[in-house]
Amino acid sequence: MRRSSQPVARRKEAGPTIIIAVLLLYLFLPIVATLLFSIAKDWQSSILPTSYTLSWYGHIFSDPRFLFAVLRTLLVGVLTVSLGLAVMVPVIFVLAVYFPKWEKLLQISVLLPFAFPPVVAAIGLIKLYSGGPVPLTGTIWILIAVYFILIQPFIYQSVRSSLRTIHAQDLMEAAEVLGSGKVNAFLRIILPNIWSGTLVACLLSFSMVFGEFVMGRMLVGGEFETVQQYLYNAMKVSGPSASAVVVTYFLFIFLISGIVLKLGRRKPGGYLAHPKPGGEDQ
Amino acid sequence: MSYIHIDTVRKTYEAQMVLKDIDFKIEEGEFLTMLGPSGCGKSTLLRAIAGLIPIDSGSIIVGGRNITHLSPKERQVGMVFQSYALFPNMSVFENIAFGLKMEKMTKRDYTPLVEEMIALIDLRGKENQYPAQLSGGQQQRVALARALVKRPKVLLLDEPLSALDAKIRRHLRHQIRDIQRKLKMTTIFVTHDQEEALTISDRIVVMNNGVMEQQGTPAEIYTAPATEFVAKFIGSYNVWRKEELSKSQLAQMPSGELYAVRPESIRIVPAEEEDGLFDATWMRLGEGRVERSMILGNVMRYFIRVQAMQVIVDRLHDQDTRRVGEGTNVRLFLPVEDCRVLNALA
Repeated sequence: MRRSSQPVARRKEAGPTIIIAVLLLYLFLPIVATLLFSIAKDWQSSILPTSYTLSWYGHIFSDPRFLFAVLRTLLVGVLTVSLGLAVMVPVIFVLAVYFPKWEKLLQISVLLPFAFPPVVAAIGLIKLYSGGPVPLTGTIWILIAVYFILIQPFIYQSVRSSLRTIHAQDLMEAAEVLGSGKVNAFLRIILPNIWSGTLVACLLSFSMVFGEFVMGRMLVGGEFETVQQYLYNAMKVSGPSASAVVVTYFLFIFLISGIVLKLGRRKPGGYLAHPKPGGEDQ
Repeated sequence: MSYIHIDTVRKTYEAQMVLKDIDFKIEEGEFLTMLGPSGCGKSTLLRAIAGLIPIDSGSIIVGGRNITHLSPKERQVGMVFQSYALFPNMSVFENIAFGLKMEKMTKRDYTPLVEEMIALIDLRGKENQYPAQLSGGQQQRVALARALVKRPKVLLLDEPLSALDAKIRRHLRHQIRDIQRKLKMTTIFVTHDQEEALTISDRIVVMNNGVMEQQGTPAEIYTAPATEFVAKFIGSYNVWRKEELSKSQLAQMPSGELYAVRPESIRIVPAEEEDGLFDATWMRLGEGRVERSMILGNVMRYFIRVQAMQVIVDRLHDQDTRRVGEGTNVRLFLPVEDCRVLNALA
């Protein structure tokens, strides 16, 4: 009996391992291939390159256009995410706690970016903002305004999920009875307790802005070159150069994710997400 | 003059009146319980006293001051919430100190006050722990300390024990009562638990459907319910309508339309035994058959059919009750003075 049951158990353990291995291979193979392509000096008729070089990295990092593109993308990202969080977090909180009936409207509103194809949305925006008293098309401001709309779903989902884990209304009322104002209670009690969700929102939004191409290309074009547009231009010049940009982009996103996740774990000593059951009450 | 006056308070939610001209008074240092089923308006009234919801009409007077239109922070009330509402990002010490910090007190000034409260709730050594690291009972005590540390004029407790298991509940309600007596704190406690209300309170206000049904001491409420609702809610009272009773039963009862009888005041004797002990002060309810019996710890509860009437009888679980089981024919006797006539409108 024992002999026959062991192989069955092994087969059961092997199943998920194979699935995970295939999934990881599927996810990482393109990245590994891109990395190899970016450092390949000679790669013609073999599985792996026959010689390696970092010259493409040297080339892009010595190109001021690339560095400015990174800085511009960072600027747009920081401004958009800051604006998004500053507006959306209080709005989500107020609707969820004080006007739950109206939350449905916000839910519909945050789904709209998924409903409109980027090209359609971009053409509409160009028509709307190319004239008028303050023409915005071609400036960084239209990019920030559009990205603000696009990152709404990420902020809403992350922050709302965090809010569901706390008794926000009770916490606010307790703080008010204890002598706090509403704004102070929000800043000192609610915000620290939805911090992890806010950081996830920040990370998702920043990654989205960093990787966005269509809106940037159509609304601002070459006047405000971002990383994605630099990448598009690099692809026209040479494959390995474009691969080096892609790998650099991935490393940058990994770095930002790491920093944000580390900040998210920074909680007061012993602060747990869920209360301890039972206890020593007597 | 009373310390707190809830003066004809009315509150309506979406065309439904949830508080219908509630009016009662509380003396300084008194422990008053608002008792009633879910949705009766007791928590709404408590929240109105705290200033968390506005009222439509009436007024709330505390210590001679009309606080009806003041914000929660101006009312000088302390409140313990059903969910405790401890701030998860703050330690026990910081939670208790929060209210004092809001009064702009310096750390040097508030530290001894917080430490005194921690000692009072017996949580020394837990000052630096976070709410999630505490048990439910400990969290409840921290919430109590946080409400008390500012020495409010009135302490409001919104079903603070309902999330705890029975043993811890019993322990904590005694602890709450002891602390309240020690500090002589005027307290309003909200619960739907009759046993809790009867054991902890100086006075009880029974509420139903936004209306105050009755108020009185626990003994008054239990022994002399004024309405059918109170009789049924406060205990397993037998409530009989006039038409349910036979002519011979009616002849012995005081005149009324609705009668309430406590189950423990009825005596039962097996039909074949002598009943000579019962004199003229006892009324004979007649003969019936035990349909069902159940053990409630030290008490046996019998469900007895007497003609068209269902009678609940509680007897101390002793040797006598062993002679009475399901199917036994019994005679029932009731002291005349224990038959309460209820307000028929209720």
